[in-house]
Amino acid sequence: MPKHIVRLVLLLVTAGVLAYAGKQFLTVDSFYRFGHYRGNSVADIASDRPKFRTPETCKECHAAKYTEWSKGVHNNPAVGKVVKCEVCHGAAGGRDKNPNSDISSIGTDHPNKLKLDIPSDTVKLCTLCHEQMTGRPKEQKQIVVATHAGDQQCKTCHNVHSPRTFVGALTSTSRPGNAAAGKAISADCAECHGKAGVSDDVNIPSLAGQNETYLADAIKAYKKGARKDALMTGAAKDLSDSAAENLAAYYASLQCKSAQNGEPKLVAKGQVLAQKCVSCHGESGVSPQAMWPSLAGLSKDYLVSSLKSYKAERKNNLMNKIAKDLNDADSAALASFYANASCR
Amino acid sequence: MEDKVEKFEEEGRRKFLRLFGGAIGGGGVAIAANALLPAAAAVEAPAKAAVPPIPNYDWSKHHWAFGVDATKCIGCLRCVEACKVENNVSKDPHHFRTWVERYVTLEGEEKARVDSQHDPVNIAAAGGEGKYRFANRYKDAKVDKAFFVPKLCNHCTHPACVQVCPTGATYKTADGAVVIDHTYCIGCQYCVQACPYGARFFNEEKGVTDKCTWCYHRITKGLNPACVEVCPVSARVFGDRNDKQSPISIFLRDNRVTVLKPETGNAPNVFYVGIDKEVS
Repeated sequence: MPKHIVRLVLLLVTAGVLAYAGKQFLTVDSFYRFGHYRGNSVADIASDRPKFRTPETCKECHAAKYTEWSKGVHNNPAVGKVVKCEVCHGAAGGRDKNPNSDISSIGTDHPNKLKLDIPSDTVKLCTLCHEQMTGRPKEQKQIVVATHAGDQQCKTCHNVHSPRTFVGALTSTSRPGNAAAGKAISADCAECHGKAGVSDDVNIPSLAGQNETYLADAIKAYKKGARKDALMTGAAKDLSDSAAENLAAYYASLQCKSAQNGEPKLVAKGQVLAQKCVSCHGESGVSPQAMWPSLAGLSKDYLVSSLKSYKAERKNNLMNKIAKDLNDADSAALASFYANASCR
Repeated sequence: MEDKVEKFEEEGRRKFLRLFGGAIGGGGVAIAANALLPAAAAVEAPAKAAVPPIPNYDWSKHHWAFGVDATKCIGCLRCVEACKVENNVSKDPHHFRTWVERYVTLEGEEKARVDSQHDPVNIAAAGGEGKYRFANRYKDAKVDKAFFVPKLCNHCTHPACVQVCPTGATYKTADGAVVIDHTYCIGCQYCVQACPYGARFFNEEKGVTDKCTWCYHRITKGLNPACVEVCPVSARVFGDRNDKQSPISIFLRDNRVTVLKPETGNAPNVFYVGIDKEVS
């Protein structure tokens, strides 16, 4: 064989061996184990620790909050609407540094090191989903903040963990008032509001059986000037907070009596209009929400003048908006319906 | 003189042939060896009969798929934020593994206007980069039609991005996820170019490409991907197609679904309900 051919063959073989050795040496063991990639990388990627930990994890320590949430509208799997804890509070888990992965950070876990966010601006938070916006499906509950609540925070009225429950309802059982102490200082009130909290004057509301929270809040509002009335401002001025609570407890404990001074022919119309009032003032005017008043059995005249005041000077974001849309005939019908309703 | 020159040229040619001929020959053998190797490995692989050592998980038993019901999406962008937190994706709105598009057709206009969380108006509405919110920019406009569409990697059955990777850094797992081995990625970004869906992005900080993994570290532990976990309206659905009662199997059974850009031949595994003709 000619010398140059031998050389060429030798050269080719040497190069081939070198290339093969190089490939063997430089390719990691697990390459081609499952395909054209590093087989070990699969387990590496899968080994990262999840950060979002599901509500079941939260439940271990926050059982009460979990129950509150799980019974509310924010946990409604039947219609696919489930707002889990970590949607608002952020991820509970951290991630350990994984030496085999570039995607890593120093891990911190709640509750050991990481404190979860308790959103303070509920308007900003809730409107992420509930702001009225073009493109959102009709089934999504949407509001225009300015007309729904003005500059109030959502949590002022809504229990954020179960938004169809209203804030006052939760505190009704734990009022600090003492009914007996309230009775002792009620003589001045009785002059206008009646001996047992049942007023004889159609322009002055009966207090008997009214929601305790609402009564206490009302006295405090007069005292602070948030609510104004020639007589009540003066009467509330000198009452301490505890006196206000005691009075509220006393009047709430009394037996109510329905005014029954509505116009019978307006009652049916009023009942239809009252459907809008149900969520706060109850099905027939007996409020399920402690922070808002029961309307059933209050006198027609008082109810009409209240609605009128909400149209004018009296401030309440919700009621201002509602009263604005009612004409005088509507007001009279509503007032008649509630005045004739049973207060029990 | 002329003789000397000729001799010199002759010597030069021989030297050249000796050096480069050898190199070319060697290269040829190397290529042949390369071509033979995968075949040899394919024979070896079944003998090892191994699945990746993931605790309590056998990838041969799962076939993951994803569903999106665009008629439910409210554009809250909680999925975008959750994905970034879960996967340590840069918080700026221009790098993302998943995103949501808003399609708005105004009265009298032919084409839909499309925006997403990285639109400057939306960044401003969110209150800066790192927060995500759609601006209520069409509230006073006359709108014919509007809807939101969540998007993510389609984890295609024939992924173009995997085909073009020169190093074997990106691949499709046996259970259906397309993932990236960040230790082997050289940052050439061929895959970013190849993906017809714009689902990949380049992480300048680490010099590697990044993409949705369907939260592979979560699904192999029996959890949902983070975006599915936080979606408050169940617009995102995930599950195992091998399990006939899984959310995705029910989703595929109960709905007429479509995929994005079927004409590219990538065969996506993210199935859509309620998207319009201009969505691609």
